[in-house]
Amino acid sequence: MSILEVDAVQKIYTTRFGGNQVQALSHVSFQVEEGEYVAIMGESGSGKTTLLNILAALDKPTSGSVRLDGMDLSKIKESAIAAFRRDHLGFVFQDFNLLDTFSLEDNIYLPLVLSGKKPNEMKQRLMPIAEQLGIVKLLKKYPYEVSGGQKQRAAVARALITNPRLILADEPTGALDSKSTDELLRLFGEINRSGQTILMVTHSVKAASHASRVLFIKDGEVYHQIYRGGSTENELYQKISDTLTMLTTGGEHK
Amino acid sequence: MKKGIYRTLAWTGIRKNKKLYLPYLLTCMGTVMMCYIISFLGTSSTFGEIKGGTTVQQFLGMGFGVMSVFSVIFLFYTNSFLIRRRKKEFGLYNILGLGKKHLAVVLFLETLIIAAITLAGGLFFGILFSKLAELAMVKILGGTVAFTLTINFSSIMQTVTLFAVIFALIFLNTLRQIHLTNPIQLLHSENTGEKPPKGNWLIAILGAVILGAAYYLAVTIEDPVTAIMIFFLAVVMVVIATYMLFVAGSVTLCRLLQKNKRYYYKTNHFVSVSSMMYRMKRNGAGLASICILCTMVLVMVSSTVCLYIGAEDSLRNRYPRNISLDAVTENLEELDGSASEQTEALVQKVVEENGTQQENVLNYRTAVFGGVIEGNQIRFDDSVYEERMDNISNIWQFFIVPLSDYNRLMGKNEELAPGEVILYTTKEMHYDQDTIRIGDSEPLTVRKQAEGFVDNSVDSMQIFPTMYLFVPDFEAVTQPLLENSLMDDGRRLLSLHWSYGFDLPCDDEKQIAIEDQLQREMDELHTYSKDFTDFRVIIEGVASERADFYGVYAGLFFLGILLGIVFIFAAVLIIYYKQISEGYEDQSRFEIMQKVGMTRREIKKSINSQILTVFFMPLITAGVHLAFAFPLIRKLLLIFGLTNVSLLIVTTVCCYLIFALFYVIVYRVTSRSYFSIVSGMRGE
Repeated sequence: MSILEVDAVQKIYTTRFGGNQVQALSHVSFQVEEGEYVAIMGESGSGKTTLLNILAALDKPTSGSVRLDGMDLSKIKESAIAAFRRDHLGFVFQDFNLLDTFSLEDNIYLPLVLSGKKPNEMKQRLMPIAEQLGIVKLLKKYPYEVSGGQKQRAAVARALITNPRLILADEPTGALDSKSTDELLRLFGEINRSGQTILMVTHSVKAASHASRVLFIKDGEVYHQIYRGGSTENELYQKISDTLTMLTTGGEHK
Repeated sequence: MKKGIYRTLAWTGIRKNKKLYLPYLLTCMGTVMMCYIISFLGTSSTFGEIKGGTTVQQFLGMGFGVMSVFSVIFLFYTNSFLIRRRKKEFGLYNILGLGKKHLAVVLFLETLIIAAITLAGGLFFGILFSKLAELAMVKILGGTVAFTLTINFSSIMQTVTLFAVIFALIFLNTLRQIHLTNPIQLLHSENTGEKPPKGNWLIAILGAVILGAAYYLAVTIEDPVTAIMIFFLAVVMVVIATYMLFVAGSVTLCRLLQKNKRYYYKTNHFVSVSSMMYRMKRNGAGLASICILCTMVLVMVSSTVCLYIGAEDSLRNRYPRNISLDAVTENLEELDGSASEQTEALVQKVVEENGTQQENVLNYRTAVFGGVIEGNQIRFDDSVYEERMDNISNIWQFFIVPLSDYNRLMGKNEELAPGEVILYTTKEMHYDQDTIRIGDSEPLTVRKQAEGFVDNSVDSMQIFPTMYLFVPDFEAVTQPLLENSLMDDGRRLLSLHWSYGFDLPCDDEKQIAIEDQLQREMDELHTYSKDFTDFRVIIEGVASERADFYGVYAGLFFLGILLGIVFIFAAVLIIYYKQISEGYEDQSRFEIMQKVGMTRREIKKSINSQILTVFFMPLITAGVHLAFAFPLIRKLLLIFGLTNVSLLIVTTVCCYLIFALFYVIVYRVTSRSYFSIVSGMRGE
């Protein structure tokens, strides 16, 4: 059964005075199955971020629907949406979005505290995740004291700690050096193999080559997709590069 | 061409930061205006001619000094807010190729523009309102003044010079700050990772101890003399302790709360506690300043208002009757002799000649001396004065009064045996012993404590408390003391007084006329009558003294209100800048929390509670300070002859409430701009 069903989503932005209309997404449909690791690629301006915001229930589509576990996001009441986001989705952002007033530990606890969990339970949940991500020794540190890669791992821990149905990652490797990038992608693979569904938006070919399926967005619609099938990361990397070349040179497909 | 660019940059620099610069400009203008008005009133000749005007002008001269110091500190403080916010802009200019020298030129032009605008605006409003202030002041003093607008050029010069210096200092300080940092630092100065504040236990505890000690001092003070000496010490202690507690104490408290996992990991507390810690680290000093400003305003305004409202009371204390005569002599015979009879007759004659009559006549005899109470003994020999610094709080003024005079004046019918005494003490001092010895004489038995006695001008002028001893055998008690009190160098430590006073049912002008005539005829009597060799009479009339008396109180009142307004301005502005700068800092945090799954409502609630705490902490602390300062203020006002406690309570509470109301309005207005900044990103 699909965890996420995106059906004919359209998003039109109207400028303030109602004059110009900008179509960010024209017609996006796809599904994500449980345990999948999907990467969405596209150039800047292709509508990736708009799509992610809609998936995260931060924004509403103009038409079409997004269903998570069969629940229509646009039907959730405004007051319940934050709690829904907290309990069902995990976020990893390009710029980490850690609160600098909290230690890493408290940053990770944030969604649990918001859900009203007990300190003991929070600790129990944190330890295995922190061990897996290799940040046990860093928990008491503050964001300004650790490197970008470490910050991102803390952010991943924060996304995982609620046992979300889906992890949404927005350019998670965008602000990392290549060593940290490799490390993070390895962790993502590991997390995915343990059964976690991940949806990642990126324009890094390397990041996308770790996914089990890659969707390409161009001009507000899904233009193409590649399944990993049996290919290795290097083979997938090659395929993605070829597709991107074709996309940018304007080759006709479909 | 090049110059043009600098000018444009300077202009846009100010205009682009309207939100920051507008209040700054307004404050500068406000301070300029206040300085001009104070300087104008302090030197205005029309004002000086009014009765009591010169007294007020002395206070205003002092006021200008206070204003100058305050302006320097305050404008420096607000300017530092501006610079902090604009460092990024400077960094960008720097990277784009504008050298630090060029930045200096731009900043210089900016300072020049600001100085020009604020001086012009401030002086304009200053001149406009100076007339209003003058009218108000004259009204308070009860005079009349022509409605012509005058401009005082020396005041303008004084104000311009003061602010030229202040702006120059501010400019140099800005340059110094920019020179110390490199472009990259300038660019990132806004979002460098901040260390989590470490609560400094030692300072926090020290602050609490100092504050406790200051409060203890203020509450336990008994006599007004010590109150004067303690007052400044207590003020300094409270100021230091407030800074310590706001800066270190608050952070330490947050740390403690954080350690308590049960409390900390609650939705309501989690975000608030940790952000409060950072907020307090950054704003502790600013909040402490607000708190102290508030306390100052409240103490100043409430006590000056109280003094002014109670002026008529104090006047009556100081001059118990419309016209008072005080005769001094050195031997007992003269006290009851023909001199006093002749004086009484003269008074009766003069009053009758003026077609009016005496009312509420006051007529009693006293023996007056100063001394120190040790145990049950009053020491009044010369050695007392040599060691007086050690036991200044034990110094008293003593009045021995015949019991018959007491009974007559107070309408009582007390009877005492020789060797017994009734006591009455002023300024809320107490004497608890059963007996009392005057010098080396036989101890007198204290029969009872009286509830009151007529007001006495000597008591109301002194900071020392007075003890009245009502004795049945005045001559017997006084004579030996009189003999002992003659010093080797001919001075007497004890003097005999005959106090005579009466009210007049006529207006001030008539009263002054009577007083003048009495004075003239009294002088003649002094010169020609042989009965008056040792008997010197001093005449005081309340009517002629009233203007000067009011001059002092109205001067204090006016200055209190003026400085109160200025301090409120200051507090408001500090609050505004705090809100604005915090708004920018909280903007990104707001975004993150929303992404992580906090509802807008939760965030707003959390921010609201933090702001409320930060905002009202100074006000509440100021209230506590004021409450503890109250006994001290009351004791100090006793010195001014103000004994009306309920009046002081009412004015203090009213001042606090008015101030709180004002504060809440400011909060409402500024928090709106705070929220507009915080949610600005989303809104667009």
